[in-house]
Amino acid sequence: MTNAAAPPEAGAAAPICEVKGLGYGNYILRRTIYTIIVLFIILSLNFVIFRLMPGDPVRSILDPQMTPEAKLLLRKQFGLDEPLEKQYLLYMRSLLRFDFGYSFSTRMPVKQEILDRLPNSVLLLGLALLITMSTGIVVGVFAASRRGSFLETLVTGSGLFAYAVPAFFLQLILLLVFGYFLPIFPIRGTMSVPPPPGGLALVLDRIYHLILPVTSLVIINIGYWALYTRNAMLDALSQDYIVTAKAKGLNRSQVLYRHAFRSILPPIVTLIFLNLPTAISGAVVTETIFSWYGIGRYLLEAVLKQDYPAAQGAFYLIALAVLICNFMADLTYGWVDPRIRVGRGGDRG
Amino acid sequence: MKKKGLLITGIVIVVVIVAAAVFFAFFRPAGEAETAAREILMPIIKDTEAQLIAIQRGDIHIYPGLARATDINALKDEENIEITMDLGFHMFYVGINMRRDPLSAKILRQAVAHMVNREEIINSLFEGYMLPLAHFVPQSSPYHDDTVPIFEYDPEQAQAILDEAGFVMEEATGIRINPATGEPLREIIFMTPTYEVAPTSAELGKIIADAAQSIGIPIKNEPLDFPIMLDRLDIHDFDMYALAWSLDRIPTFLYDFFHSSQDVEGGYNNPGINIPELDTLLEGLYYVPDEETARKYASQAQQILADELPYIPLYSRPYMDAFRTDKVTGYVSMLGYGAAQYRNNWTKIGLRPLADEEVRWLLPEEPQSLNFFTNTSAYAAEVYHRPWDRLIEVDPETMENVPWLATDWQVETWEPEPGREATKITYNLREGVKWHDGVEFTAEDVEFAIHYILDNNIPMHISDVQDVVKTNVPDPYTLEVYFDKISYWYLIKISDLPQVPKHIYENVDDYQQFQCWLEPHPEVEGLTQLIGTGPYVFDEYVPGEYVRLLRFEDYWYDQK
Repeated sequence: MTNAAAPPEAGAAAPICEVKGLGYGNYILRRTIYTIIVLFIILSLNFVIFRLMPGDPVRSILDPQMTPEAKLLLRKQFGLDEPLEKQYLLYMRSLLRFDFGYSFSTRMPVKQEILDRLPNSVLLLGLALLITMSTGIVVGVFAASRRGSFLETLVTGSGLFAYAVPAFFLQLILLLVFGYFLPIFPIRGTMSVPPPPGGLALVLDRIYHLILPVTSLVIINIGYWALYTRNAMLDALSQDYIVTAKAKGLNRSQVLYRHAFRSILPPIVTLIFLNLPTAISGAVVTETIFSWYGIGRYLLEAVLKQDYPAAQGAFYLIALAVLICNFMADLTYGWVDPRIRVGRGGDRG
Repeated sequence: MKKKGLLITGIVIVVVIVAAAVFFAFFRPAGEAETAAREILMPIIKDTEAQLIAIQRGDIHIYPGLARATDINALKDEENIEITMDLGFHMFYVGINMRRDPLSAKILRQAVAHMVNREEIINSLFEGYMLPLAHFVPQSSPYHDDTVPIFEYDPEQAQAILDEAGFVMEEATGIRINPATGEPLREIIFMTPTYEVAPTSAELGKIIADAAQSIGIPIKNEPLDFPIMLDRLDIHDFDMYALAWSLDRIPTFLYDFFHSSQDVEGGYNNPGINIPELDTLLEGLYYVPDEETARKYASQAQQILADELPYIPLYSRPYMDAFRTDKVTGYVSMLGYGAAQYRNNWTKIGLRPLADEEVRWLLPEEPQSLNFFTNTSAYAAEVYHRPWDRLIEVDPETMENVPWLATDWQVETWEPEPGREATKITYNLREGVKWHDGVEFTAEDVEFAIHYILDNNIPMHISDVQDVVKTNVPDPYTLEVYFDKISYWYLIKISDLPQVPKHIYENVDDYQQFQCWLEPHPEVEGLTQLIGTGPYVFDEYVPGEYVRLLRFEDYWYDQK
C-alpha cells in the first residue's frame, strides 16, 4: 500500500509545483469562480465606461428638423431616460440571457448583427491564425536547428521586417499590386457580386476572396511566431538534457521534436490559446481595406457612435472568449507539461 | 468534289457563327442601350483605395460622392471616366458664440470674417475642389440671394474697422485692447475636430487662428475629440467652432439655426443669436404662404445674418460623381443633389447600361438597416429611395416642382376656427400607377402614411406631419390635407414622405422592429415587403456584400 503522503524517493525529480490539499476538480471549480467574478467586473466596467464617455448617443441620429419632443421620445425609446441603476440592472439581466438589445443606430437586434458578422471574422482570422501558427512554428524550429546559418539569418531578418511593417501599409500594397497592376484577385468582400450559384462554385469563390486578406495577415504575423519559437527552441537546445539526449545516440529529428520542442510546448500552447480570441475580436484595418464584413469594424463604429448596446454586446463576447481561452490555457498547460500538474499531497518533509 | 465543297462550306459557316458568338459574348460593342438596366447591383466597398481601383478596372460603373482631391486627380484623366460636378447644399462654416465677450462685439466678428481667405483655404487644403461660400444659403438653393453683401478677404479693412471701433493694437504684446474693459483681448478658443478625425478641419482652424493673430485678435486653435466638442456646443461652453451642415432646398433650416427659440441647451442655435426682427422674418419664412413670399423673407433674413455673422460660412462641397462612359449613359446632373445621389430621380429613370445588362453602382458603406422609419444612414437611403417615387419631383436645373405621382396640386386656405386661416393642399394623383406587387397606388396610401406617422409618433418624420389636422380622400386619386397653420413648405414635406404601402403597413404594429426588406411578401413570390412604385424593385441585401435591385417591368413612366 502506498502512502500518498510519503516523501518522494531520493533521486526522484520533485514536482515543480504542488498545491497542498487540492485536487484537479477543486482547481477547476476555483478557476471557474474566478472567471465568473472577473467577467462580472468586466461587464460592470463595460457599462460604466460608455456612460462616462463624453457625448450623447442620441445626437448622432438627430436631425435639425426634429422637434424637441421627438428628441425626448428617441431618448425614451432607447431607455436613456431611466435612472442609471435601472439601466444597469436591465443590462446585466439581459446579458445573462445573451440578449444584447437593439442597436441605437440601426434598431436591429445586436445579437443578429453580431451573428451575421462573427462567422466572417472567425473564418478570416481563424484561418490566418492557423496558417500563421503552424508555419511560424515550423519555421522557428527550422531556424533554431540551423543556428548561425544563412537560412537562419534570412528567417530572423525577414520575420523582424514583416513584424515591423505596419499592417495597413502592407495590405494596401497587396491591394494595389494584385488588385490593380496585376488584377488577379478580388479587392472586396467575402464573395463575388453576384455570387455564383451554391455548392462547389460558392466554396471556391469564398476561398478566392480569402486569399489576399489571409496572405496579408500571415505575412504580418508569421515573424512573431517564428521568432518566438526560435528563441524558445534555442533556449531549450542549450539545456543539459539535450546534451544527454545526443549522447544517448538519438538522431537530430528525435532530439529536436521529442525533447527540445516538447519542452517548449507549454508556452507555445499558452500563446495559441491567448491568440484565439483575436479570431473573434476581428481586425478593423483588414476588414476596412478588404471590405470584409466582420466584428472588428462593427465594434469600432459602435464605439464611435456611442451605440451602447452594440458595443456592449461585442465587448461581452470578446471578454467571454478571452476568459474562456485563458481558462483553457491553464487547463491545457497542466496536461501538456506533467511537471505543472496539480495533485494531492504536498511537501511534507 | 461537290460533297467536299459542301462540307467545307458547312464548316466555315459553323466556325463563323461560333466566332461571332464568342466575340459578342466578350466584346459587346458600346452603343446606345434602349432600355433601363435589367438590374442595379450595388457592391459594398469600404476602403477608398479599393473604391478607386474598382472604378478604374470597371468593377463598378458609378462612383458617387468623390471627395478626396487625390481621387479626383487620379480619375479625371482616365479615358473612360467622366466626373460630373454639381453645386450641393453643403455648408462648412465657423460658428461664433455671440453670448460671450469679446465675440459678442459685432465689429470683432466682422474683422475675423475679413481675415478669412477662402481661396487660400480651398487651394491649400482641397486643391481647389471646393466652392467658396460667403452666404448663409448655398448657391444651389433657389433662395440664395447674390445681392446680400459679404465680407471679402481684406486684412487692411479688418484692421481699419477694428481701429475705428477702438480696438487699438498694444504694440508690446501684439494684442488689441478691448475698449469695453481697457484690457487686452482674452484668448479666444477655436474648436475643431482633431487631426486624426478631420485633418482639413483642424488645419483650417490653424489657418484662421494664425490670420486673426496677425492683426491682434488672439484666437487659438484647439482640436478636440468630436463628442467633447459637441458636448460643449450643447451647453454653449465655447467661443468658436468649425462644423458642416448638409442642408436642403427649402430654407427652413434658417429658422432651426437662427431663431431665438432654438437657443436652448442642446438646441441648434449654437451662436445664440437673438434678434426680434430676425425672429419675425424666420417665423414668416417657416409659415410662409407661397414661394414668392418665401424668397422675400429668406433674402431679408440673409441680409441680417450677413451683418450679424453668427456664422462665417467658408465653403460648400460640390457633388462630384464618376461614371464609366463605356459602361453607362443617361445619367443627369442635378443642381443641389449631384448626378448619382438618391434624390436625383432623373438619373434613376434615365440610366442605361452600354456593355452589360446590369449597372454596378458603388455603395461606400454598409446600409445596415433599411427601415426607413428609423434609419439615419445616408447609405441606407441610397438603397430604399431607389424603389420609390415622390408625389412631386424637382427639375434638375431650375429646382422647380415637377408633377410626378401628383399630376397637379392646389394650395389653398381653410379655417380651422372662424377667423383663422390655415393651409389646405389638394393633390391629384396619377392613375394607373402600381406598387411593385401589382396593387394599385391610390390617395389612400398617402393618407395612410400621414396618419401612420402621426399615430405612432415616429420621431424621424413627425415634424413633417405634426401640423396635419385632418385628411380627406374624396376619390381614389384625390387627397386633401388640412393643416393647422399656413406654410407653403407643407407641399414639399408631404411629397417627401416615405412611400408606405397601406396594404402592407396596416398589419404592422411595431414599425421599429419591422424589417420590411427581410420579410417575404405575403402574396408575391420573390418579393419582399420593401416595395414602392419606382422604376426599380428591391430584390435583396446581402449584408457586407451588395444590394440588388431589379427593373420594374410595369413602371408607369415610359423610360424609353
